This record gives sequence, C-alpha cells and structure tokens, in this order.
Amino acid sequence: MALSEPEVAHEVECIRRVQHGESEAFGPLVERYQQRIFSIVFHLVRRRDEVEDLAQEIFLKAFRAIRSYNFQSSFATWVSRIAVNHCYDYLRKVRASRLSYYSEMTEESAHELERKAESPSPGGLDHGEKVALRDFVGRLLERAPEDDRLVLTLKELEDYSVEEIAGLLKLKPSTVKVRLHRARKRMLEDLERWRQERK
Amino acid sequence: MECKAIRDLVNELWGGELPAEAREHLSKCAGCEAFWRDARLVQAGFRALAEEAVPEASLGFASRLVRRLQEWEGIGARSEFFETVGRRFVYATLALTLAVLLSLALPTTGPVRGVAGADFLGLQVASQATQPDVLGGDLGDSHDLIPGGPSD
Repeated sequence: MALSEPEVAHEVECIRRVQHGESEAFGPLVERYQQRIFSIVFHLVRRRDEVEDLAQEIFLKAFRAIRSYNFQSSFATWVSRIAVNHCYDYLRKVRASRLSYYSEMTEESAHELERKAESPSPGGLDHGEKVALRDFVGRLLERAPEDDRLVLTLKELEDYSVEEIAGLLKLKPSTVKVRLHRARKRMLEDLERWRQERK
Repeated sequence: MECKAIRDLVNELWGGELPAEAREHLSKCAGCEAFWRDARLVQAGFRALAEEAVPEASLGFASRLVRRLQEWEGIGARSEFFETVGRRFVYATLALTLAVLLSLALPTTGPVRGVAGADFLGLQVASQATQPDVLGGDLGDSHDLIPGGPSD
C-alpha cells in the first residue's frame, strides 16, 4: 500500500503529535493500518473471534512504544513488526491448546484431497476442493512450528516479498530464504507422514 | 538429476515452471512425482487460504481504541502517583519496623540504657529514691560513686 506524498506528510504529523502526547492523533493512524493488522493477525492466528482483541492489544503496544519510533523504517513496517511479534508470542502461549491432529480432518476432506492428488484438474478447483484444501493446509500450518508458520504465512498468505519479510523480522534476506525453504520442506514431509499413516 | 536435487528444485521454484530435465525425472520417478504433486496441492491450499475473507474491524474500532488510550493515560498518571506514594509508605513502614525491632533487641541494661545508662549519664541521682538496688542491697543502700547519696 504505497502512500502519496500528502498522505505521508499527514502520517508523519500524526506520529509526531502522538509522540508529543496528543493521543487523539493516533486515531487516523489506527484507521489507516487497521485492515493490514487484522489481516496479519487473522492469517497468523486463524481464530476469527480473537482478531479484534489481538489487534487492539497490538495498537495499544504501538501507542506505548511510539516515542521510540525514529522514522528509520516506514510506520507500516514498524506497526506490522509489532503485530507479528505479538502474534508470535500469542501462538507460543497457546501452543498446547492449538495442537491439531490429522485425525481431526473429516473423511470427506480426506477423500477430496486424495482425489485431487490422484488427478489434479487443470481447470482450477471447485468449491468443495477449495474447502477441503483450505481445511487441510490450514491444519498443516497449525501443526507447523511458530517460526515456520510465521515465514509461510507472510509469504504465502500476506504475499510479502522475501525482502519485506526480512525487514519485518529484522533478518537477512538470505536467512529468510533458508527459513522459507526449510518450512516448505517440513510441511511437505508432514503431508507425506500423513499419507503414510493413512496407508 | 538425483531425487534430492529434484525435490530441492521443486521447493525452490515453488509453483514455478520446472526445467525439462526435472520434468523428465518426474515422469520416471513415482516418489518425486508424488512430492511434486503434494507441493502443488499445498500451493493450491495456500491460495485457497489467502482468498478467505479477512474479518473487518467493527464500526468505530479506531475511536473506541483512542478513548481507551486516553482512559489508560489517565489511569497511568494516577497509578504512577499512587505508586510513588505507596512506595514511600512502604519504605517508611519498613524503617519504623526496623527501629522497633532494634529497640526490642537491644539489652535492657548497658551503657546506653537502663540503670547503668542512667549512672553513665549521671541521672541516677533523681531516680535513686524510687529504683531498687540492682546489686541486691536494700532499697536506699549507698553507692560510693554517687556523692551525696544516702550514706553520706
């Protein structure tokens, strides 16, 4: 989401006002970035009912830390980084309760998936296939370690480039590439294990 | 190409077009073909996940948040005040407790306390008449150290 010059100037003004204690100037910043934060939270956490609460906590954190914001990265990157870190901490906290098992997959989903695997239709997916795949890959993602889940979500669901992910996670682009490679590999191995278990 | 190289390539290209050499390998190797198919499935699954509608912020989310921030600021300032006052109260209580404990722990007699202390300070003259003799003598026994005592 590229901002025009006046939008950037307005954003900078709002940030400076908040830094000088005018909390009402935080409103326009929230309005500008709320959808981005909701998207990150939803894709990372995948709990629809918790998105708004988590987003609120993230903006509260950003507000408390805004005096430390020094304009070196864009405000979008800065606030997204807070969101990613907050979700990461949340996922670690609820790790035990979010364990997802293959057995939770419905018979129908499993059947759809196997049919798809045997003869992938070139013309795209119908609704049933989409739901089955979404369900299954969502479960694979839930089973993945937090670090894998982070890079996979940012790349595959948020559609960030490797450089953008590197900026968000404060890593080198080469490190992000390696993590992405490993995360995909682990996910495919997990899928293979599932196949073995079903045989 | 070896199987490991093919799988790395599938992972690396992730949805991109495989080179002819790799495609030829896939046509002969069932394991790598299954791996490639799984990768395609996962990619399709990710696309389906990405298409899922993201929940939107409820109406007035930003203004509610700012109101909460302002409340929090007020509470924050108040709690800072109470924290400072509370901390001082705790320190004062601790100091007082320490003083009381020290006063209880000190011996009841000694150079700065009790009868001997009074001796030391030259105050016994005034209290002599009312205090029993700590050396075991009858009330009013003399002490040589006190000039002008009852023995004089």
